[in-house]
Amino acid sequence: MRAHTVAAAVVLTLLTVPAFAAEQQPSAGQIKVVSGSAFIVRGNTVLPATVGQRVFEADKVRTGSDGRLGITLKDDTRFSLGPNSEVHLNRFAYAPSEGRIGLALNVVRGMAAYVSGRIAKLSPDAVKLETPGAIVGVRGTTLALSVSPQ
Amino acid sequence: MIVTRRLIVPALACSLTLATACASHKTKGPEYPGQAMVALLPDPETGNVGKAYVTNSAGRTDLGSARDFTTVSVRTAPAPVSTLSQGDVRALFGDVLAALPPPQRHFTLFFRFDSEELTPESKAMAPEILRAVRERQVPDVLVVGHTDTTGAGTGNFALGLRRANTVRTLLRDSGLDVASIDVISHGETELLVPTGDGIFEARNRRVEITVR
Repeated sequence: MRAHTVAAAVVLTLLTVPAFAAEQQPSAGQIKVVSGSAFIVRGNTVLPATVGQRVFEADKVRTGSDGRLGITLKDDTRFSLGPNSEVHLNRFAYAPSEGRIGLALNVVRGMAAYVSGRIAKLSPDAVKLETPGAIVGVRGTTLALSVSPQ
Repeated sequence: MIVTRRLIVPALACSLTLATACASHKTKGPEYPGQAMVALLPDPETGNVGKAYVTNSAGRTDLGSARDFTTVSVRTAPAPVSTLSQGDVRALFGDVLAALPPPQRHFTLFFRFDSEELTPESKAMAPEILRAVRERQVPDVLVVGHTDTTGAGTGNFALGLRRANTVRTLLRDSGLDVASIDVISHGETELLVPTGDGIFEARNRRVEITVR
């Protein structure tokens, strides 16, 4: 019950002061492409992914056997997921004037494509793509990754 | 003779078509649980090829040419680099590459000195910007105001914001939903043309628009 009350309060807050809520946690980017089944896992909540939805640092995105997902981040990084795939947006910070930039994408399973954005241009070492067994460093580039389920 | 011809014909067909058309040349994706394949591809828009490396505690493999790839598993060094054919890339990654969102577009609009009035050339760019916005299913527009270094920093921050808002109004009046437009100012902190303080520089008096 307590959780429900809190959730209701959060929903109300989001509805009544969206500008304030948006300032509290700036989004990392936006879902631009969806087909088939695709989801955002945010904390303990699983949300169906829809075109136009915002994504945030710490979100996990996931697709089903018929799913595809394409996301553009606020530094112009683009990435996509093929079917049966899961990618975790472990870190996203893009505040160059405050000296805070960083991107960490963990490709847990399935297929992913990545096109670098401004973070990679400003500081290539601030970008980390992870697979279960390795770290991928990028120097301004496009990559495709495929990871077998564990 | 017949036996010989049977052998030669497929071999000829194989050498005459792209190597990728031959089953024997196809590269498979990762096979073992948790194994990853990482491939370096040309940029989808420019064709430029960057660099990447794949590393873990057991080793490192550098990717430096178009379609270079390696495979890697936990606690095993990444395999030496090899190269995928274009057909391999299509077969393995065509699906996921097709799901990439369209690339962002950047526009720079210039302003008259100490003013939020656009130069005539920049005003004329509005239709092109609107086209880029309308091409997108869910456009996301960032409008960033900038100034040159004449005048005080705080005043320039405000001037940058007025310039950005001028562009926002222009886009709104052209029928764009303002909910998709974010407006910020960087004042004189991000110069297009680096100058000292107090320098007139037309190219720094600008608004940069990103359409995603």
